Amino acid sequence: MTDFGRLIGTLTDAGVDFLVVGGLAANVHGSGRLTSDVDVVYARGAENLKRLAAALAPLHPYLRGAPPGLPFTLDQRTLSTGLNFTLVTDAGDLDLLGDIAGGGGYDALLSHSVSIELFGRPVRCLDLPTLIQVKRAAGRAKDLEVVAELEVLLDESSPPPGEDRAARRPVEGGEGA
Amino acid sequence: MSPRDSAEVLRPFGLEPDPVIEHYKRDVDRTRLRQNLQRTVAERMALLEELQRLHEEARRAGAALRQSR
Repeated sequence: MTDFGRLIGTLTDAGVDFLVVGGLAANVHGSGRLTSDVDVVYARGAENLKRLAAALAPLHPYLRGAPPGLPFTLDQRTLSTGLNFTLVTDAGDLDLLGDIAGGGGYDALLSHSVSIELFGRPVRCLDLPTLIQVKRAAGRAKDLEVVAELEVLLDESSPPPGEDRAARRPVEGGEGA
Repeated sequence: MSPRDSAEVLRPFGLEPDPVIEHYKRDVDRTRLRQNLQRTVAERMALLEELQRLHEEARRAGAALRQSR
Protein backbone atom coordinates (compact mmCIF):
# COMPACT_ATOMS: atom_id res chain seq x y z
CA MET A 1 0.00 0.00 0.00
CA THR A 2 1.38 3.39 -0.98
CA ASP A 3 1.99 5.91 1.79
CA PHE A 4 1.22 9.05 -0.21
CA GLY A 5 2.03 11.38 2.66
CA ARG A 6 5.40 9.79 3.34
CA LEU A 7 6.48 9.98 -0.29
CA ILE A 8 5.38 13.58 -0.68
CA GLY A 9 6.93 14.50 2.67
CA THR A 10 10.22 12.83 1.76
CA LEU A 11 10.52 14.91 -1.40
CA THR A 12 9.38 18.24 0.04
CA ASP A 13 11.44 17.94 3.22
CA ALA A 14 14.55 17.40 1.11
CA GLY A 15 13.83 20.50 -0.98
CA VAL A 16 13.35 18.55 -4.19
CA ASP A 17 11.82 20.57 -7.03
CA PHE A 18 8.92 18.53 -8.39
CA LEU A 19 5.31 18.72 -9.54
CA VAL A 20 2.57 16.26 -8.69
CA VAL A 21 0.95 14.84 -11.84
CA GLY A 22 -1.08 11.73 -12.71
CA GLY A 23 -3.73 10.11 -10.57
CA LEU A 24 -2.79 11.91 -7.37
CA ALA A 25 -3.13 15.25 -9.18
CA ALA A 26 -6.52 14.09 -10.45
CA ASN A 27 -7.56 13.41 -6.85
CA VAL A 28 -6.33 16.84 -5.82
CA HIS A 29 -8.65 18.33 -8.44
CA GLY A 30 -11.66 16.35 -7.24
CA SER A 31 -11.50 12.92 -8.84
CA GLY A 32 -12.57 10.07 -6.60
CA ARG A 33 -10.63 7.40 -8.45
CA LEU A 34 -8.25 5.09 -6.66
CA THR A 35 -4.64 5.58 -7.62
CA SER A 36 -1.91 3.34 -6.33
CA ASP A 37 1.21 5.39 -6.96
CA VAL A 38 2.67 8.86 -6.82
CA ASP A 39 3.68 10.39 -10.16
CA VAL A 40 5.95 13.41 -10.13
CA VAL A 41 7.78 15.44 -12.76
CA TYR A 42 11.14 16.42 -11.31
CA ALA A 43 13.58 19.19 -12.24
CA ARG A 44 16.62 17.89 -14.11
CA GLY A 45 19.25 20.23 -12.72
CA ALA A 46 22.29 18.56 -11.15
CA GLU A 47 21.63 19.86 -7.64
CA ASN A 48 18.03 18.70 -7.75
CA LEU A 49 19.06 15.24 -8.92
CA LYS A 50 21.46 15.09 -6.01
CA ARG A 51 18.72 16.08 -3.54
CA LEU A 52 16.29 13.62 -5.11
CA ALA A 53 18.70 10.68 -4.94
CA ALA A 54 19.66 11.48 -1.34
CA ALA A 55 16.04 11.86 -0.27
CA LEU A 56 14.94 8.55 -1.73
CA ALA A 57 17.93 6.45 -0.67
CA PRO A 58 16.47 5.64 2.79
CA LEU A 59 13.35 4.33 1.05
CA HIS A 60 15.41 1.80 -0.95
CA PRO A 61 14.07 2.62 -4.42
CA TYR A 62 14.17 -0.23 -6.94
CA LEU A 63 12.89 -0.70 -10.48
CA ARG A 64 9.26 -1.77 -10.29
CA GLY A 65 8.68 -5.16 -11.90
CA ALA A 66 12.36 -5.91 -12.32
CA PRO A 67 13.77 -9.19 -11.00
CA PRO A 68 15.40 -8.83 -7.61
CA GLY A 69 19.14 -8.56 -7.34
CA LEU A 70 19.89 -6.28 -10.27
CA PRO A 71 22.79 -3.89 -9.66
CA PHE A 72 20.50 -0.85 -9.56
CA THR A 73 21.27 2.21 -7.50
CA LEU A 74 19.21 5.37 -7.84
CA ASP A 75 21.98 7.90 -7.49
CA GLN A 76 22.63 11.23 -9.20
CA ARG A 77 24.40 9.51 -12.10
CA THR A 78 21.52 7.08 -12.70
CA LEU A 79 19.05 9.95 -12.66
CA SER A 80 21.12 12.04 -15.05
CA THR A 81 21.59 9.25 -17.58
CA GLY A 82 17.93 8.17 -17.47
CA LEU A 83 14.72 10.15 -17.67
CA ASN A 84 11.63 8.32 -16.45
CA PHE A 85 11.80 5.78 -13.62
CA THR A 86 8.99 3.57 -12.35
CA LEU A 87 10.04 2.63 -8.85
CA VAL A 88 8.94 0.64 -5.88
CA THR A 89 10.05 2.04 -2.53
CA ASP A 90 9.55 1.25 1.15
CA ALA A 91 6.73 3.82 1.06
CA GLY A 92 5.07 2.47 -2.08
CA ASP A 93 5.17 3.02 -5.80
CA LEU A 94 6.73 6.19 -7.14
CA ASP A 95 7.08 7.29 -10.76
CA LEU A 96 9.80 9.85 -11.39
CA LEU A 97 9.19 11.55 -14.72
CA GLY A 98 11.71 13.81 -16.37
CA ASP A 99 9.32 14.59 -19.18
CA ILE A 100 5.70 13.84 -20.00
CA ALA A 101 3.98 13.62 -23.39
CA GLY A 102 2.06 16.76 -24.24
CA GLY A 103 3.62 18.77 -21.45
CA GLY A 104 7.39 18.53 -21.41
CA GLY A 105 9.60 18.76 -18.38
CA TYR A 106 9.52 20.53 -15.03
CA ASP A 107 10.50 23.95 -16.37
CA ALA A 108 7.82 23.89 -19.06
CA LEU A 109 5.15 22.69 -16.67
CA LEU A 110 5.90 24.96 -13.72
CA SER A 111 3.81 27.82 -15.10
CA HIS A 112 0.95 25.33 -15.52
CA SER A 113 0.94 24.30 -11.89
CA VAL A 114 -0.85 25.42 -8.76
CA SER A 115 0.47 25.66 -5.24
CA ILE A 116 -1.43 23.54 -2.77
CA GLU A 117 -0.98 22.18 0.72
CA LEU A 118 -0.67 18.42 0.52
CA PHE A 119 -0.15 16.30 3.63
CA GLY A 120 0.71 19.47 5.50
CA ARG A 121 3.36 20.63 3.08
CA PRO A 122 3.44 23.15 0.26
CA VAL A 123 3.49 21.29 -3.03
CA ARG A 124 3.07 22.24 -6.66
CA CYS A 125 0.49 20.29 -8.61
CA LEU A 126 -0.26 20.33 -12.32
CA ASP A 127 -3.33 22.49 -13.00
CA LEU A 128 -6.50 20.86 -14.22
CA PRO A 129 -6.49 22.02 -17.88
CA THR A 130 -2.87 20.89 -18.30
CA LEU A 131 -3.57 17.59 -16.59
CA ILE A 132 -6.33 17.03 -19.16
CA GLN A 133 -3.94 18.01 -21.95
CA VAL A 134 -1.23 15.55 -20.91
CA LYS A 135 -3.69 12.75 -20.23
CA ARG A 136 -5.09 13.27 -23.72
CA ALA A 137 -1.59 13.32 -25.20
CA ALA A 138 -0.69 10.06 -23.49
CA GLY A 139 -3.30 8.46 -25.74
CA ARG A 140 -3.89 5.47 -23.49
CA ALA A 141 -7.23 3.70 -23.70
CA LYS A 142 -7.32 3.33 -19.92
CA ASP A 143 -7.23 7.13 -19.58
CA LEU A 144 -10.38 7.81 -21.59
CA GLU A 145 -12.70 7.53 -18.59
CA VAL A 146 -10.27 9.56 -16.52
CA VAL A 147 -10.10 12.36 -19.09
CA ALA A 148 -13.88 12.40 -19.33
CA GLU A 149 -14.10 12.80 -15.55
CA LEU A 150 -11.46 15.53 -15.52
CA GLU A 151 -13.29 17.47 -18.22
CA VAL A 152 -16.50 17.24 -16.21
CA LEU A 153 -14.55 18.48 -13.18
CA LEU A 154 -13.36 21.43 -15.28
CA ASP A 155 -16.98 22.19 -16.14
CA GLU A 156 -18.11 21.83 -12.54
CA SER A 157 -15.30 23.90 -11.08
CA SER A 158 -15.07 26.77 -13.56
CA PRO A 159 -18.25 28.80 -13.39
CA PRO A 160 -19.68 30.52 -16.45
CA PRO A 161 -20.06 34.30 -16.14
CA GLY A 162 -22.79 35.28 -13.72
CA GLU A 163 -23.12 31.92 -12.01
CA ASP A 164 -22.06 31.46 -8.41
CA ARG A 165 -20.37 28.18 -7.64
CA ALA A 166 -18.69 29.56 -4.56
CA ALA A 167 -19.67 26.57 -2.46
CA ARG A 168 -17.21 24.46 -4.42
CA ARG A 169 -13.52 24.29 -3.76
CA PRO A 170 -11.67 23.97 -7.03
CA VAL A 171 -7.92 24.03 -6.73
CA GLU A 172 -7.01 27.48 -7.89
CA GLY A 173 -3.76 29.27 -8.29
CA GLY A 174 -1.10 29.42 -10.96
CA GLU A 175 2.39 30.74 -11.23
CA GLY A 176 3.44 32.10 -7.89
CA ALA A 177 0.19 31.01 -6.25
CA MET B 1 -27.42 22.94 -12.71
CA SER B 2 -27.06 21.46 -16.17
CA PRO B 3 -23.75 20.65 -17.88
CA ARG B 4 -22.43 23.29 -20.22
CA ASP B 5 -21.52 22.74 -23.82
CA SER B 6 -18.08 21.12 -23.88
CA ALA B 7 -16.66 23.61 -26.36
CA GLU B 8 -17.61 26.45 -24.02
CA VAL B 9 -15.78 24.74 -21.15
CA LEU B 10 -12.69 23.57 -23.02
CA ARG B 11 -11.84 26.26 -25.56
CA PRO B 12 -10.77 28.90 -23.01
CA PHE B 13 -8.01 26.44 -22.10
CA GLY B 14 -6.96 25.71 -25.69
CA LEU B 15 -8.69 22.33 -25.77
CA GLU B 16 -11.20 21.07 -28.31
CA PRO B 17 -13.97 18.58 -27.57
CA ASP B 18 -13.08 15.02 -28.57
CA PRO B 19 -16.01 12.86 -29.72
CA VAL B 20 -14.67 9.74 -28.00
CA ILE B 21 -14.25 11.53 -24.69
CA GLU B 22 -17.68 13.12 -25.10
CA HIS B 23 -19.10 9.60 -25.32
CA TYR B 24 -17.43 8.63 -22.04
CA LYS B 25 -18.68 11.79 -20.33
CA ARG B 26 -22.24 10.52 -20.50
CA ASP B 27 -21.44 7.97 -17.80
CA VAL B 28 -19.65 10.32 -15.41
CA ASP B 29 -21.47 10.67 -12.09
CA ARG B 30 -21.59 14.43 -11.61
CA THR B 31 -23.23 14.23 -8.19
CA ARG B 32 -20.21 12.39 -6.78
CA LEU B 33 -17.82 14.92 -8.30
CA ARG B 34 -19.84 17.81 -6.89
CA GLN B 35 -19.55 16.24 -3.45
CA ASN B 36 -15.79 15.98 -3.91
CA LEU B 37 -15.54 19.60 -5.01
CA GLN B 38 -17.14 20.66 -1.76
CA ARG B 39 -14.30 18.97 0.13
CA THR B 40 -10.91 20.46 0.87
CA VAL B 41 -7.80 18.95 -0.72
CA ALA B 42 -6.94 17.40 2.67
CA GLU B 43 -10.38 15.78 2.82
CA ARG B 44 -9.93 14.47 -0.72
CA MET B 45 -6.59 12.91 0.27
CA ALA B 46 -8.15 11.31 3.34
CA LEU B 47 -10.80 9.75 1.12
CA LEU B 48 -8.14 8.46 -1.27
CA GLU B 49 -6.29 6.81 1.62
CA GLU B 50 -9.54 5.32 2.88
CA LEU B 51 -10.28 3.97 -0.60
CA GLN B 52 -6.79 2.50 -0.76
CA ARG B 53 -7.30 0.73 2.58
CA LEU B 54 -10.65 -0.64 1.40
CA HIS B 55 -9.03 -1.88 -1.81
CA GLU B 56 -6.26 -3.63 0.12
CA GLU B 57 -8.75 -5.25 2.49
CA ALA B 58 -10.86 -6.49 -0.43
CA ARG B 59 -7.74 -7.96 -2.05
CA ARG B 60 -6.73 -9.62 1.23
CA ALA B 61 -10.21 -11.10 1.71
CA GLY B 62 -10.27 -12.35 -1.88
CA ALA B 63 -6.89 -14.01 -1.50
CA ALA B 64 -8.01 -15.67 1.76
CA LEU B 65 -11.14 -16.95 0.05
CA ARG B 66 -9.18 -18.46 -2.82
CA GLN B 67 -6.80 -20.16 -0.39
CA SER B 68 -9.63 -21.67 1.60
CA ARG B 69 -11.08 -23.45 -1.46
